[in-house]
Amino acid sequence: MKIAVMSCIHGNYEALNAVLSDIDNQNADKVYCLGDLVGYGPHPNAVVEMIRALDIPTCQGCWDEDIVEGLNSCECSYPSVLAEKRGKLAHEWTNQVIHPEVREFLAHLPLSLRDDNLCFVHGSPHNQHEYLLPEVDAFVAMERVLSTGADILFCGHTHVPYVRSLDAGQLQIRVKSTDKSESDMSFSAPLKRIVNAGSVGEPRHGRPNATYVIYNTETDQITLREVEYDYQKTCAAIIENGLPPIFAWRLARGLEFAERADDPTHVCER
Amino acid sequence: MTEAISIEQSVVDKLDTATVDIVAESAIYLSLGAGETSVDATYLAAEVPRLTMLPVTQLTDFLEHPSAGCAVYLELGFQIDLTSLILPDTMADCRRVAVLPPGLRHTEWHGWADLVVTGAETNITLQQPHLWRSILTGQVLDAASLNTFWYELINGAYGNVQRAKGIFDVADGRALYFDFAKGLTESGYVELNLPRSLNGRPDRFSGIEIVGEALNQETMAQTLEDCCLDDQAIAYYHQQIKDLLETGDEAE
Repeated sequence: MKIAVMSCIHGNYEALNAVLSDIDNQNADKVYCLGDLVGYGPHPNAVVEMIRALDIPTCQGCWDEDIVEGLNSCECSYPSVLAEKRGKLAHEWTNQVIHPEVREFLAHLPLSLRDDNLCFVHGSPHNQHEYLLPEVDAFVAMERVLSTGADILFCGHTHVPYVRSLDAGQLQIRVKSTDKSESDMSFSAPLKRIVNAGSVGEPRHGRPNATYVIYNTETDQITLREVEYDYQKTCAAIIENGLPPIFAWRLARGLEFAERADDPTHVCER
Repeated sequence: MTEAISIEQSVVDKLDTATVDIVAESAIYLSLGAGETSVDATYLAAEVPRLTMLPVTQLTDFLEHPSAGCAVYLELGFQIDLTSLILPDTMADCRRVAVLPPGLRHTEWHGWADLVVTGAETNITLQQPHLWRSILTGQVLDAASLNTFWYELINGAYGNVQRAKGIFDVADGRALYFDFAKGLTESGYVELNLPRSLNGRPDRFSGIEIVGEALNQETMAQTLEDCCLDDQAIAYYHQQIKDLLETGDEAE
């Protein structure tokens, strides 16, 4: 069975359409979405309506949460005051145009999804705002996967796709008994993987193309897909809708609308 | 001796420190066309403390009472109209040096200069050069935001930028000099040889100068404003740096 996993659409309807077409062409049997349907991009309602219409299982992203709960994440979610001001502009714009039923839909999205030995989250199993960057400490990475009980953890949020295999998980512990004797014990963690789906609508890999992944459960093969689309249409819509033109400039260069937070394991304190 | 130099980048960059010190000891620098945005003068004053900086407003007094044995380096901005430039009589016999990119022929500078020096290769292709300046004195910028702005600036987000330089006060009290010339080396910044400003808004000069085409001034100005910290944030960061410096934890 082929499972397509996509994330971080951010109101980019053109990119979503292109990815859905590519998923069709790849004959995927199931599709999962890891959230951040809205924010920064010009078509938040259309994106959510499409996801709803296709009944794609979706978990809640940090932007989806913010548009429901209000922008109350702590200030260190942003790497700079400029990013914070731009993020707030995007949030205010989205908050104004979002339809009530769309907000309601976002409010009821689950934080995680399970499918057999697969787990789907937006940021990490701990929090939608936490970044599981490819270079995050291996012990932390392993803990995040183990906490789900799954073998493969699918996540997004970083906007850069990657596959990380945790296949050399050796844990060594030293047990001190009350009689002061010590014993060393060693465990081998089973193979676990973290798969980041990248971003459909707000790439950060230096090209404007949308990214997602396909997992083949029979061959155990993971394929990162990069899909070209007419990003200029989205750029034009950004400007036409009164969003900051710099969003269009950054999107056209695969730079993401704003920089990600510096602290890769930052968990928002609400 | 008076020397008029038509350069954008100070020749000081090309010389070793000892030579610069010797030259600077008996040199006076004056820039015509810089207006109130004295990026070059501030940079030179910080990096070559022995060099005497002469404000344009003091030029008349200086000419009436010139310093004996001093060489005056008069820099002319590219936007100066050479046909209407009339130098004071005491400077009229100066040596006129034009530093021009290789391959440039038959410009007004060739007719004006006594000596044409071949400078660095540039990709300047401007049909209608546009100069934009902004004084930022008193503003303290968030360094991460400044880096984002500078990246966007030199990569065309606000128009076709050929040359950009700026001096910015950042939250940790340092003054940073940013420099970009299209087609030359990668843009970067250096920390100016100035004391940290850690007591509120600094009163020393900071600002930016940009030469390019189709520059979106309004957006540039707004983005720079968005990079600036408010009084509360400035006080917070300054106190943090003071505490670090007091405990000796600051890695210089």
